[in-house]
Amino acid sequence: MMDTEEEDFKSRLAPDVTPNRQLPWLTGIELLSDTNQNKHFLPTGLEGIDALLGGGLRQGQVTEIAGPSSSGKTQVCLSSATHVVDRNFGMVLYLDTSNSFSPFRISCFVNQLHPSLPKELKETSLQTIMSNIYCQSVFDIFALLDLLHHVETTLKHTVKLGGSKLCLLIVDSVSSVIAPVIGGKNSQGWCMMASVGVLLKRIAYEHNIAVLVTNHMVGGENGTLKPALGESWKGIPHIRLLLSHGTGNNHGTTTVLKHTLMVSMHLDHHEIWSKWVVFFSVLEHSSVTGRVLYVAGDSFAYRTHASDTN
Amino acid sequence: MEISNLPISPSIRSKLLSKGYTSLSSLSSISPSFLAQELSVKLEEAVEVLRAVSDTTTSKSAHTPNGIIPGAVTAWDMLSEEQMQRHISTGCEDLDAILGGGIHCKEVTEVGGVPGIGKTQLGIQLAVNVQIPVEYGGLGGKAVYIDTEGSFMAERAYQIAEGCIYDILDKFPSNSREFLSCKERLQVNNFLAGIFYFRICSYTEQIAVINYLENFLTEHGDVKLVIIDSVTFHFRQDFDDLAQRTRVLGGLSLRLMKLSKMFNLAVVLLNQVTTKFTDGSFQLTLALGDSWSHSCTNRIILHWNGNERCAYIEKSPSVPSASAPYLVTGKGIRGINSNFKRARIM
Repeated sequence: MMDTEEEDFKSRLAPDVTPNRQLPWLTGIELLSDTNQNKHFLPTGLEGIDALLGGGLRQGQVTEIAGPSSSGKTQVCLSSATHVVDRNFGMVLYLDTSNSFSPFRISCFVNQLHPSLPKELKETSLQTIMSNIYCQSVFDIFALLDLLHHVETTLKHTVKLGGSKLCLLIVDSVSSVIAPVIGGKNSQGWCMMASVGVLLKRIAYEHNIAVLVTNHMVGGENGTLKPALGESWKGIPHIRLLLSHGTGNNHGTTTVLKHTLMVSMHLDHHEIWSKWVVFFSVLEHSSVTGRVLYVAGDSFAYRTHASDTN
Repeated sequence: MEISNLPISPSIRSKLLSKGYTSLSSLSSISPSFLAQELSVKLEEAVEVLRAVSDTTTSKSAHTPNGIIPGAVTAWDMLSEEQMQRHISTGCEDLDAILGGGIHCKEVTEVGGVPGIGKTQLGIQLAVNVQIPVEYGGLGGKAVYIDTEGSFMAERAYQIAEGCIYDILDKFPSNSREFLSCKERLQVNNFLAGIFYFRICSYTEQIAVINYLENFLTEHGDVKLVIIDSVTFHFRQDFDDLAQRTRVLGGLSLRLMKLSKMFNLAVVLLNQVTTKFTDGSFQLTLALGDSWSHSCTNRIILHWNGNERCAYIEKSPSVPSASAPYLVTGKGIRGINSNFKRARIM
């Protein structure tokens, strides 16, 4: 009885809520099974970072890597591109703003992947892998917005091009095209930054793509460094990592700044906890026998140890 | 975004816009009958509109082999292009070796160091070395030298060009016919004529020159190197609003990146140092702040190592960090072993 009422209600509500005639909501169980089956982790090739990310770059989410100059952000991007294509997840699109995309470095990564292969197989594997990594240079925010719109349109219209679909979108670095337009007297720059953020998240969510962006650091109070692009950008990436130099040696450290599934080790700790506490306490304490409609931006994540009482 | 570009009649276009359909994506999943009802037009006209929409989107993707975005190149194609690329020698073999052949084209390299370490010398050396003819292993291109401090000395450029020619003729002593024609071109005056010199006196002039460079480079297609010495000077003293300075510099660096990619040339920026109070002590860092340090492809720091001058690669996407000593001689920048090599041959 409840189901048919529900179906009826959904079908009446659907045209107004989404233009695509999709069902406007899914239950938590459906979301969880979708996550477990469809949202894979894409490897970055660096075990420490994969472990910190909980397995790798999540499909459907935007991951940001921030760090001071020459801390390894571009290397993480190049390594991810190589490993993702090697494991046949699909194509990679690399948007480069500082001419740092180095095919030579990619070939070094490929050669390290399977050191025991004979030479001819290595050559063909190099060609296959590198033919699935596409690079385009972007030098201003308008070109970036244009490109992202175009990517979105193309993804909507093509079902599958001979087996290879876009699975990873890298923007290195998104902050160097956004930083020159924000600040100042008028707010148009902030609007464009928000557009870029929304577009990246929409592309990630609707087409099941992992998005990796890099950010640089600027000076904060007391001479410490903080990620650029300010407070408004903080909410856009789902996961933020901070790379830092090792002193003297080649070892750097990675810190989790924000993660929808894990406790972060830094300043945003209390913010994340407060959102979750509210949600679960509603579930726990609601004496109304009904269901909860959670309208998510997209930071909804699936914590496996929810509270005991449903 | 592109409703205004569709090849449809103006009345239908205005109906679309008034109903709220402003972008192609909003029309992407609508059936013709629904659209006909919405716009109060005939079914055939709605079909025409949707066909125009799908034509525009497929024509964009038909131009590209991969169908994702126009202009994207695969890494495999870039690899073969990169392997054929020549690099600009710095004059010092050790430094060339750690750089992976020399200064790369299509990249922006920042060179920073304390005063007196040899930044301008390196700049002039690169402006001369980029003109080494292709037959002798160089690029055979011209150079643009943008001078903000007035440190470019024509007499020193003459000396360095002479030293460069002397070393080339020393290295390639053969008198075969193909080299004879090149030898005629190896004149110091030709080398000096191949350096386009801009002297700028304020930050507005600096911004103007960089904006003008695109036109200049379209006319002079053989320029393979742009040097700015030094990029910091005018931005350190005249700016009150530091946030605005960061934005202006960010825009400048993006423009330089675009120029280097579009015209396939190397951009070398010389930068000064400043002291910064970090971790309880004063340290030397490059000027212009943290945001600027992010906006170059490679960075080389020149520093003193005891009594020796040393170059350290601090940032590069393709070569590891390494250090190499170099000398500033009467003939220009040279490696420390080059004197010994000459003695051994003789």
